[in-house]
Amino acid sequence: MYPEHTHRWIDAAAPDDPADAHPSLIDTRHVTGELFGFVNIPMAVWIDETGTIVRNAESASIERSPLRDAEIPDGIPERMRALLTEVKAIPDHADAYRAAILDWARNGAASPYALTPDEVIARSLPRDADVARATACFELGQHLRTTLAGPDGEEAAIGWWKEAHRLDPTNWTYKRQAWTLATTPADAAENDLLQEAGDVYGTSWIDDVLAAGGGARYVVEPRL
Amino acid sequence: MILTTLEGVTTQQFADGTGWDPKPEGLCRGEVCVPAPGARRDDGTVDVAAAAERLGMPLVHDVDHGVWALGPGTTTGKVLSTATAPDPELIDRDGNPFRLSSLHGRKVLLVAWASY
Repeated sequence: MYPEHTHRWIDAAAPDDPADAHPSLIDTRHVTGELFGFVNIPMAVWIDETGTIVRNAESASIERSPLRDAEIPDGIPERMRALLTEVKAIPDHADAYRAAILDWARNGAASPYALTPDEVIARSLPRDADVARATACFELGQHLRTTLAGPDGEEAAIGWWKEAHRLDPTNWTYKRQAWTLATTPADAAENDLLQEAGDVYGTSWIDDVLAAGGGARYVVEPRL
Repeated sequence: MILTTLEGVTTQQFADGTGWDPKPEGLCRGEVCVPAPGARRDDGTVDVAAAAERLGMPLVHDVDHGVWALGPGTTTGKVLSTATAPDPELIDRDGNPFRLSSLHGRKVLLVAWASY
């Protein structure tokens, strides 16, 4: 698979800019979620010079979203109001997380934000039998969707992705990926961010966020 | 890890697909080795069901399409069983393979992002 639709996003980050050069990589099979524990975006891990993780997967915003401070206009539909209300409630640690990254970049292992291997493992997210099975179900659905042609692949994926959602309701990657594919037309210029996927999955972003405890519970908050 | 058969899976394929390397002492990842008698066969293949049981990996089967997915291990009850960073093969903008291990010697901030 060669996902050309990623180019606009990669190019916007200017990975070849000499002042800010960085590898910009594409995970076509969601393997980083399974391996590192990413369950939403943005999330990040820190890896030191020896290839050792020194900070486990956490929410990794480095700029406060303008939506946090936006006023909710009068007269909008109630579901949109509920959605914006929960978005505003998502915890924001952008300034502190950015400062922690810079401290680690300067001080390495001496940074108070660099964790020991035991701390990294202990702080990584729980993975019980249901969570592990959800990972397998999501991978199976993804494999079928990308290897079977057209509607057959889409149909085959839905059942497995529904099961992944049931088994691991806190994994927003599984949900957002499935919902976006269900509600965004193939020729759309932008992804549908409302993700009202009730017709296909019986769920939606706002309904599941509320069921999980609201925007305040939406991210894996960094423990700084 | 996607499998179209449970027979003939080589130790290398299993290691590449799961991150757990079948060695004589057990199934190993980083500094962690889990004893797994019978999982590593003399012919260089892996008894997938035995390995999955030892590592607490779910093996999910889609009967209609003849395909299995082997999920992650649950031996520690945590996503990470070791702090040694996994080294998956990803691709860059132009489709070239890229491994995180190529960045050894430098600090890496690995950020996951998507457009949805």
